[in-house]
Amino acid sequence: MGRGITITSGKGGVGKTTTTANLGTALALQGGRVAVVEGRARLRQALIKDKRLPELCLLPAAQTRDKDAGSREQMIDLTAQLRREFDFVLIDSPAGIENGFRNAIAGADEVIIVTTPEVSAVRDADRIIGLVEAAEKGPPNLVVNRIKPRLVNRGEMLSVEDVLELLAITLIGIVPDDESIVTSTNRGEAAVYDHQSQAGRAFLDVARRLRGEDVPFPVLQEQQGVLERFFGIFGRRRS
Amino acid sequence: MGFFENLFGGRRDRSASVAKQRLMMVLVDDRYKLTPETLEQMKVEIAEVLSRYLPPVDAEQIEVKILRGEATDYLKADIPLKRGQPDMG
Repeated sequence: MGRGITITSGKGGVGKTTTTANLGTALALQGGRVAVVEGRARLRQALIKDKRLPELCLLPAAQTRDKDAGSREQMIDLTAQLRREFDFVLIDSPAGIENGFRNAIAGADEVIIVTTPEVSAVRDADRIIGLVEAAEKGPPNLVVNRIKPRLVNRGEMLSVEDVLELLAITLIGIVPDDESIVTSTNRGEAAVYDHQSQAGRAFLDVARRLRGEDVPFPVLQEQQGVLERFFGIFGRRRS
Repeated sequence: MGFFENLFGGRRDRSASVAKQRLMMVLVDDRYKLTPETLEQMKVEIAEVLSRYLPPVDAEQIEVKILRGEATDYLKADIPLKRGQPDMG
């Protein structure tokens, strides 16, 4: 029986969908059978296989005008069904704390919360933690996304330690702010395929921790400066 | 004064610590419906009670934080006490 894991954030725009996509791909690359479900998926919908990775299947959001489409019971049934065939069922929750979110956690055994080191994102994460605890889904795991080490060192950005002290949940990933995410999103590929991508490596680590491996959190490297990047252009070129 | 101190990050608090302080206030309010005003009132009353047993406590110097724990939250208060004068009587 597989694990149903909902990925949620409270606030939109913190990288929840990017996290879901990369985590799904990473788990599949590591040999797991993975189904990724978007918040409003329906029971009788076809799974789409990822072309590069047969272990990875996607169930996109149902195209429907009904806002509450996919009731709580349907979501529970759907997740239960998929858990029989897959090792991991990742459910991408819609932002907010409304029905969509409640449906998305209904079928889950575990919850991952994505936040960024910003006041409004941490505040919304705290609200979501309260709701997840009330729903008795067990203690959620936290991914801190878009960390900028240089700003943290200057004291101009909340550190991971600050966020953990405020939210007091278990850390499962630290993902640096990384320009390669923009590139990989443009290409429609997960960053975990890009071995140069720091964010991609961070997501691979999240997947390994999720599978129970004890992976230390690496000290984040500074992004290279303008000059290095300039000279770097001559050094390597991606096809 | 301002210019050089600002230039070298002297007096002005780093924005991350400001953000953390703001968040602590906001989260306490979210979780306990405790506004900054109520928190101040609480400090005044804590000072009143303690002053009955200890040297006078200044409410403005009390720092109250609510920290999130695994199962419960904790209220942590830092209350500076003026050193008692030894009794000369």
